[in-house]
Amino acid sequence: MYAGCDLGAVTARVVIIEDGAIVSSETMPYKKLPVQAAVEAFEKALSKANLSQDQIDYCVATGFGKKAVPYANADSAEVVCLNRAFRLLNTDVRTVIDAGGQSMRAINFNEKGKVLDSTVNEKCAAGTGRFIEVMAKALELPIGEVSALAFESKDPVAITSQCGVFAESEVITYVNGGRDRADIVAGIARSVAAKVSSLVRRISLEEKVAMVGGVALNAGVRKYVEDDLGVKLADLEADPQVYGALGAALVAREKHGLADS
Amino acid sequence: MIVAGCDVGSLSAEAVLLEEGAILGSEIILVRPTAEQSARDVMEKLLGRLSLSYDDIEFAVATGYGRETIPFADANLSEISCHAKGAHFLVPGIRTVIDVGGQDCKAIRVGTDGGVEDFVMNDKCAAGTGRSLELNSEALGVEVSELGPVSLEAKEAIVITSQCSIFTELEIMHLLMEGRSTADIAAGINQAMSRRVKMLAGRVGIKKDVGITGGVSKNVGVVKMLGEMLNVEFVGFPEDPQIMGALGAALFAAEKAPQ
Repeated sequence: MYAGCDLGAVTARVVIIEDGAIVSSETMPYKKLPVQAAVEAFEKALSKANLSQDQIDYCVATGFGKKAVPYANADSAEVVCLNRAFRLLNTDVRTVIDAGGQSMRAINFNEKGKVLDSTVNEKCAAGTGRFIEVMAKALELPIGEVSALAFESKDPVAITSQCGVFAESEVITYVNGGRDRADIVAGIARSVAAKVSSLVRRISLEEKVAMVGGVALNAGVRKYVEDDLGVKLADLEADPQVYGALGAALVAREKHGLADS
Repeated sequence: MIVAGCDVGSLSAEAVLLEEGAILGSEIILVRPTAEQSARDVMEKLLGRLSLSYDDIEFAVATGYGRETIPFADANLSEISCHAKGAHFLVPGIRTVIDVGGQDCKAIRVGTDGGVEDFVMNDKCAAGTGRSLELNSEALGVEVSELGPVSLEAKEAIVITSQCSIFTELEIMHLLMEGRSTADIAAGINQAMSRRVKMLAGRVGIKKDVGITGGVSKNVGVVKMLGEMLNVEFVGFPEDPQIMGALGAALFAAEKAPQ
């Protein structure tokens, strides 16, 4: 049995696999203590499947905190893990957009699963989950509501600044001006989608296109990304948040095999 | 002959009156809800103090982001040209002006005649603007006006790795949780700020003498670090450099006024 842990900037996720199938998974959002979240997510994933830690043959960590996961035997790059996950599930996907809490990447692979091109933004909050979080705070809405509300908008506001700091001021101005919240939420979703789409355009866009990571849970953003790129995003076979951890577990299986021989 | 310059920015508005090439008076106020009202208020405050009226003004030039809506202006010009002109008037040897405001940062290379040779500007990203200092000092739990003095007590400047002001907020919280000293973090914040400004200023090419203006010029930590990084000593200004844009506008008004 193999485990993968994807320790992101705001969430820890663990996937346990046996014979190439997911037997347990856990997603744990955290505010301050990444290592503790990684440990708790692992313990919960184990107990969900009535497993103990010694039953795990090998564990690989990925994500922003991949070097800090105490129980991992090794770590692996995000691009590699996502690539492995999409060789197992949604195998017809050629372009993956991973929009996380503090970073965003786009990867293109060929039909054999070889990575052809990839690009990343981890310098700027625009287009990331943190951007949505800052705007949700300015709107005084729980982050989960800054999503489907976009569909109720008839006239999305224009957010002209890309910078999250300046965009927050714009959102506050709209709130104080009494603009409909749905219009503001739609404006935010459109701004995030525009940033995501411009990143994806740096690599070759080949269908099918899949979106994973926490931001992929936001239905408003998904819709605007589809509009911007002129594609329909693939329906995913698993929770969009666990692809990185699943890939890490698959890498664990590969590495363990090598260690044996 | 009296001419006027008026600069309406995003935070403050300034007015300057000139008579025969000398500053007659200047005024600074915080902005009102509209640019038009800010311009009227600052100009009328200055005129009132000098017992003058709009009729005494031969020609007026407006600048700043609200420059197109100023009712009493006969012409308007970009703040870049006005800043260069004003800086040259105050310090004739000045060749580079670095202006770090609340929401933007610009570097202007000034010609020997006070014209603009080149300039670069960042108003797209909060990093390297006064806004990032505000956010960072809030995360640190220090007044933004104290960031400079506090940083001078640092033993070492902690390197802040994130560029984005939203990410640095979390990084600062983590540093505090690790028990790092406020002074060392403050020095790190000022160092990151200085690096951003240096990068921008480097693109326009630094020529001496160099002046620094805008709200961030009041942070002694940034001024010291940036001076060291650029290997320059910043020149002093004989007037509050905040009036530089309005002063430049008034100097253009003197040139444009019908003789």
